Amino acid sequence: MNDQTVSDPIEVYLDRLLVELSGRARNVRRILAEADDHLRDAVESGVAEGLLPAEAEQRAIDRFGSPATVARRFTRRPGRLLPVPVLSQLVLALALLAGVGLVGVGVSGALAGGMGVAFGKDFVSGDVAGVTYTPARCADYLEYHPEAGTCARAATAHHFDEIVEYRLAAGILGLLVLGGLFLVRRSSPLARVIPMGEGVGLLPDGFVATTGAAVFGCAAGVLIASGLAQVGGGSGGAGGYLSGGIVAAFIAAAFAVGLFRALARRAEVVDAVDDLARLRPSPGT
Amino acid sequence: MKSDQLKGHLDVLLLAVVDVRPAHGYAIISALRDQSEGAFDLPEGTVYPALHRLEEAGLLASHWGEVGGRRRRVYQLTGAGATALAERRTEWKQFVMGVDNVLGWAPA
Repeated sequence: MNDQTVSDPIEVYLDRLLVELSGRARNVRRILAEADDHLRDAVESGVAEGLLPAEAEQRAIDRFGSPATVARRFTRRPGRLLPVPVLSQLVLALALLAGVGLVGVGVSGALAGGMGVAFGKDFVSGDVAGVTYTPARCADYLEYHPEAGTCARAATAHHFDEIVEYRLAAGILGLLVLGGLFLVRRSSPLARVIPMGEGVGLLPDGFVATTGAAVFGCAAGVLIASGLAQVGGGSGGAGGYLSGGIVAAFIAAAFAVGLFRALARRAEVVDAVDDLARLRPSPGT
Repeated sequence: MKSDQLKGHLDVLLLAVVDVRPAHGYAIISALRDQSEGAFDLPEGTVYPALHRLEEAGLLASHWGEVGGRRRRVYQLTGAGATALAERRTEWKQFVMGVDNVLGWAPA
């Protein structure tokens, strides 16, 4: 370091700012680079206005603010904790996904019911081969379904009822969740992120669509694979998995369409960057 | 205008400046001061945290570019930023109209 660097007020200021800053090294380097650029611009501007270089440097530093103040503004930014508006939108977005999921469960209940009618209840809720029931359990099943005749058939009928009814109940709960979100969206600007990637986003563009496509896609894969394994193994109950898997696949496809649209919107930003690159002066001009 | 009076409005003002054209920090702050005819003359270093925060929120995007022969961080509005700006403009007009109506009101 030479004497000129040591006595350069801007270098001294940047050193003090570096000491005050904390956080990731890349961020600190970026902040210092931007501060350096800014101060050099401000000095050029001051000199162009007729100030002596030393006066221009001092004015630039004074206007930028003390290193402690600038650093405090950066560190005050939310690091580990999410700010309330972002957290609110995150909760609403997750509630939307949960609502859609619950409605999907309800639809899968209806589909399972249809499968039971078409292929028999054993296809939907039959136990794996070799399952035995205690006398007390068997009595319970036969109490619910005395018409079944055997313990195994009564158990299948009981499981079938549970699959269809519980899933339909979940679907009704999902409709209530979505209805509540609809009302919140109408009353709160913060909730405008609720549509699949549309609107003002404090969350990343396409967050709901991306998350929905990933979660429901994975669920569809697991459920369909489980259902096919049941079919391959000759066990009953495949319809219980397949009904859920099919509905999850449709939901994942719908979110994938939303994700595609969100990606298409990114093209606007890419175009803007290209425009900027064209406007940028080439080296030597 | 004191900087604390700008509290709550700085973000939308920055979005509005960048809406005109992508710009680096010094140009944004200069435009803010010039377009406000000197009314918004705040500690310049405190604008950068706001720019970084808007970028983290997805309302601005930035990249290193060469401007005027120097490597600078250039900020530009994103699609979400443009939507947010349009909404804040509408809200601001409604707010100003409401205040004007009250302040201009006089009993008959």
